Amino acid sequence: MGYSDPSSNRDLLGNRSLFFIFICAFAVVTLLQQILYGRNYLKRYFEFYEGRLEYNSTKCLELRQDILEVKVLSMVKQSELSDRWKSLQMCKWEMNVSAANHFKSTLSRCCNAPAFLFTTQKNTPLGSKLKYEVDTSGIFHINQEIFRMFPKEMPYYRSQFKKCAVVGNGGILKDSRCGQEIDNADFVFRCNLPPISEKYAVDVGVKTDIVTVNPSIITERFHKLEKWRKPFYNVLQVYENASVLLPAFYNTRNTDVSIRVKYVLDDFVSQQAVYFFHPQYLINVSRYWLNQGVRAKRISTGMILVTAALELCEEVHLFGLWAFPMNPSGMFITHHYYDDVKPRPGFHSMPLEIFNFLHLHSRGVLRVHTGTCNCC
Amino acid sequence: MAGLMYKCPRTRLPVGASALCVFVLCWLYIFPVYRLPDEKAIVQGVLMQQGKAWRRNQTAVTVFRKLLEDCCNPGQLFAMTRQNSPLRKNLWYDGEFLYSFSIDNATFSLFPQVSKHLVPLSLSSSLVDYIAHRSGCGKKIDHAEFVMRCNLPPLSAEYSKDVGSKTQLVTANPSIIEKRFQNLLWSRKAFVDSVKVYNHSYIYMPAFSMKTGTEPSLRVYYTLADVGASQTVLFANPNFLRDIGKFWKGKGIHAKRLSTGLFLVSAALGLCEEVTIYGFWPFSVDLHGRFISHHYYDNVLPDSGFHAMPEEFLQLWFLHKSGVLRMQLEQCEDPLSQPAA
Repeated sequence: MGYSDPSSNRDLLGNRSLFFIFICAFAVVTLLQQILYGRNYLKRYFEFYEGRLEYNSTKCLELRQDILEVKVLSMVKQSELSDRWKSLQMCKWEMNVSAANHFKSTLSRCCNAPAFLFTTQKNTPLGSKLKYEVDTSGIFHINQEIFRMFPKEMPYYRSQFKKCAVVGNGGILKDSRCGQEIDNADFVFRCNLPPISEKYAVDVGVKTDIVTVNPSIITERFHKLEKWRKPFYNVLQVYENASVLLPAFYNTRNTDVSIRVKYVLDDFVSQQAVYFFHPQYLINVSRYWLNQGVRAKRISTGMILVTAALELCEEVHLFGLWAFPMNPSGMFITHHYYDDVKPRPGFHSMPLEIFNFLHLHSRGVLRVHTGTCNCC
Repeated sequence: MAGLMYKCPRTRLPVGASALCVFVLCWLYIFPVYRLPDEKAIVQGVLMQQGKAWRRNQTAVTVFRKLLEDCCNPGQLFAMTRQNSPLRKNLWYDGEFLYSFSIDNATFSLFPQVSKHLVPLSLSSSLVDYIAHRSGCGKKIDHAEFVMRCNLPPLSAEYSKDVGSKTQLVTANPSIIEKRFQNLLWSRKAFVDSVKVYNHSYIYMPAFSMKTGTEPSLRVYYTLADVGASQTVLFANPNFLRDIGKFWKGKGIHAKRLSTGLFLVSAALGLCEEVTIYGFWPFSVDLHGRFISHHYYDNVLPDSGFHAMPEEFLQLWFLHKSGVLRMQLEQCEDPLSQPAA
């Protein structure tokens, strides 16, 4: 009846064979790629397990130089930085005492944590006016009630602790088995009430000496402590005798909630101390890092703690502070080790902060842990 | 021209006059003119009755209880329970106009399961308002099976001779929580310690009377639950309070709001067989003409015009005379010579 194309079922160079050829080409290219780069990869892999290179070997100096060469984060692709960081992992880390001391003296001039980290009765006398960190919040008049909550003076002094660990909550900690190493530190800082239950203890440890609490967590999870208080108290008890550190004088909204934390612990007769960040310290630290190129609305708690730890401890180890969606070996990781809730965009600039830590690591001032720990 | 000048006020006058009339009528409706016997006359009247022994009048009790049952059903509606206030039920605040609330999941979980056996129908109950003074009635009060007290009164050793120490139910006004305990927003220890004297009692809170009172009242619950206190918090049912208010308004008490004491008396009359009330004396002189303080623990006078205490007293006095309840006004010097209330 109708006209049919006689070549319709012959299809010499038709759709199907064309498609097949494409697939073959693609496969060949991928195979070639695998062969070419895979060898490289394997080589690196074996190198890594040959044993770590000495800190001062020429190879390591080069690798460190590779990272220090990156002056601004936007100079290179994040994957490139990640690669350089990965290669550096084959080197042992050693503290560069002179560089560390130099850096610490800079910090003591700008921020002076041993005197100004917390509000104390010494640095914040009764009746004085405390300026909030956020300018628009104005000032807070120190009254008797608040003054009594402050410690007499700073409980810590310069270089008090030999080895400190600042534990961030990054997904990089997942399956890191770093718990033991963290617990071996003399002093452990943790951020934002992280869970340290048995499920996570292998990776994050349990020892805690200071834990910070963000008032926004109290507002969201504990109804500003206006209703039930026991659940919050139970959460704090997990950290045993850790001191609770709050940015009470960041803005006016934080103050009431933070003061309430002190009341909760007093009401339940807890041994845990409550400290408040001195707003001037926070301002100084932000200003310092701003000069180093960390441009953000606010620097993260992790960075503040690292800055404080550098002054209070001789050796600072960073765990779980990693801001990229992939770990150095290219695996995707969750945002936190306990969940994958992404933060509000545009508030912190984590990559810039981590970038600064990597620099400090390369200069031997502190040590950033991003891989698995194989201690003991 | 002159006619117009003359006309203008003539047309305006009735408008102004009727507005004034309406205003006066409204005024009279809200604050009716009635003659209340003054303080001295009431004291005289009470003194006249003094010699006569009080006798319980069973029929009067039954009648009055029937009245209360019909209007307010205290047994069921006394407190908020999961039965009488189901989830998502809409209720109106009884102390405010135009405000309602609905019971959400969080609030619902705070209510007890049933109210029927919360307050057992006991044989005798004592009601202690906080106006008692140097009465020496402590023993007699403690003798009752169910003792109710108003507004978190102090029960320290210096008062226990006069007001006893037993408590089964104590009311707490949100305003007290606000004034004495800063709304429980800061330290809560002072509050927890202060209610320890009430042992295993109920704390009865009019949480849903005023909009501002809800939060502090719920906070009382949270506070006591957090520390695992032995007290139980009950929330007053706004419908019950409104019904009781209407009931007494019908009996001629004109006040913005009934006092807690009268609410409790009504509840007690509905729940208990025998009711004795202590410390209901709103006047500044006692029966012998001596000045007494307003409360047994202090002399802070209340805001005038909020409660109509003398009227409430007259109503209770009437109930006393008719044998429905017993009002203890004299000192109970020798509690052993008289059988317990």
